[in-house]
Amino acid sequence: MKLACVVHRYGADIAGGSEAHCRQLAERLSVRHDVTVLTTCAKDYVTWANAYPAGASRINGVNVVRFPVRRPRRLKAFADLSDEVFDTRASAERQEAWFRENGPDTPALLDHLRAHGTEYDLVIFWSYRYYPAYFGVPIVAERAVLVPTAEEDPAIGLDVLEDYFKKPAGYLFLTPEEEDLVSRRAGRRLAPAAIVGAGLEPVGATTTRANVVPDPGPRIPDPVLLYLGRVDRNKGCHTLFEYFEQHLAEGGGDATLVLAGPAKIPIPSHPRIKALGFVDDATRDALLARARALVVPSPYESLSIALLEGWNHGVPALVNGACAVLAGQARRANGGLSYRSAKEFSAGLDWLLAHEREARIIGTQGRAYVDREYRWPVVMARVEALLELVAAARGTRRDHVSTPLSSTGA
Amino acid sequence: MTTSGPAIPVDAVMAELHERVRDRLRQELLQHGASRALEDPQVFAEVERVLRDAASRTATRALLLPDLLGDPASWRLEPALAISSHRGAMTASLIRGVKQRVLMPVLRWLFEYSHDNFVRQQRVNQVLFACVQELAIENAELRRDLATLRK
Repeated sequence: MKLACVVHRYGADIAGGSEAHCRQLAERLSVRHDVTVLTTCAKDYVTWANAYPAGASRINGVNVVRFPVRRPRRLKAFADLSDEVFDTRASAERQEAWFRENGPDTPALLDHLRAHGTEYDLVIFWSYRYYPAYFGVPIVAERAVLVPTAEEDPAIGLDVLEDYFKKPAGYLFLTPEEEDLVSRRAGRRLAPAAIVGAGLEPVGATTTRANVVPDPGPRIPDPVLLYLGRVDRNKGCHTLFEYFEQHLAEGGGDATLVLAGPAKIPIPSHPRIKALGFVDDATRDALLARARALVVPSPYESLSIALLEGWNHGVPALVNGACAVLAGQARRANGGLSYRSAKEFSAGLDWLLAHEREARIIGTQGRAYVDREYRWPVVMARVEALLELVAAARGTRRDHVSTPLSSTGA
Repeated sequence: MTTSGPAIPVDAVMAELHERVRDRLRQELLQHGASRALEDPQVFAEVERVLRDAASRTATRALLLPDLLGDPASWRLEPALAISSHRGAMTASLIRGVKQRVLMPVLRWLFEYSHDNFVRQQRVNQVLFACVQELAIENAELRRDLATLRK
């Protein structure tokens, strides 16, 4: 098949979750298909400033065509518009204006879809919230496959999404919770659809618990409660700090909270909180091999790769239960405990540290879940099956393609 | 998953932990003067369930009270700062320019502080709207059931 993948940013040096998901799928799909990535020249996800040259290039065997961003994101206008459309019953025009302000504003990409969209068998779009996917899907709706990467954040409540989510010819979801959320917004079950998640490679022999790499950076006392990823308010880190400090103040165990990721907010100065900043893959693996538990405090997730990475290393998780995706994943995997308050956080952490053997079994259960659901051959088989189904169904009535692929297990 | 089920079911672990946390929280509330009705663990569990459900349904479009309150301008918080002037076109443009380019950068810290607090207050308002709605629903259902029993 001739496939186009549309995503707001693309490149090996782009760290975003949906962007990485697109790149990993595009590279694997390109083994069997003619794949072209249609993206922007942006690198910075805040301003969308043009950083890459416009035009065609080739990255890891994938054809990439970049289109310039017409103007950087106007942060003040975007913040004001967000306040307006999220808090009130704003008109459809104002809600569409929000998608324009969110950007990256790339009209040339839409022009390309208008002019050449029919040359692709299918066009796969990532992340409904960004301009290319929001305005691109309607242009090629009959051949569009949407990877919404939807979270339970304010944007999902916008009225205009009810019609939008019904437009694509097929859907690739990351979790059952995401499928439920998007279907609820559309007002009906969306089909054909597949829950595909994302793939992970098995952990190498060098990073098993029996072969632990020594301390990364400053000396860190055990036991380690590990946080992986950007240290950011949007990831729930400010609440994590509050809960962890309260846990220690109330005589909770002697864990050390280790933060492995770039800090975007101030980190409390406390002997039991160690911020390592950005860490390389080897350090990350060493930390995972040593961690007694992985904490995932984010209130919004469509799929937590950090959680899957933790389970890939057999580390039990402690997740924010207010996030349906995290709580659902932890429950399905039998791989972690969830909390919804400071007291539940403290009780969960104490339990994981006090029951070392049981906690390890929970971590192992998490790894078994990753083995079942998140290895690349499993993921790609689901993706390929869905794409073939959509391609075969194109041109027939939508209600003739009403059988979704298995929604279980992922 | 094997047919014999997981070696350690996390649901069971969490149920036990949450029960322990709930009991501790109930004792603390009572110690600080909460209603004696909460001495009954079942009442406490039910109260917690109702409030928790309400707190998870705070999307503005899922709430009835905002519609009943009428003109949003009379009650809704406006976290966004609109820079405007009531003067004539030329003067207004000048005043808006001064506000935007001179005053706003100077007052940015104060604006951001206020904005964050307005956003938090707005969230609290929505949670309270949702709680009132949930209690009204429960009340309506109880009235309906009571009326059925009376018949």
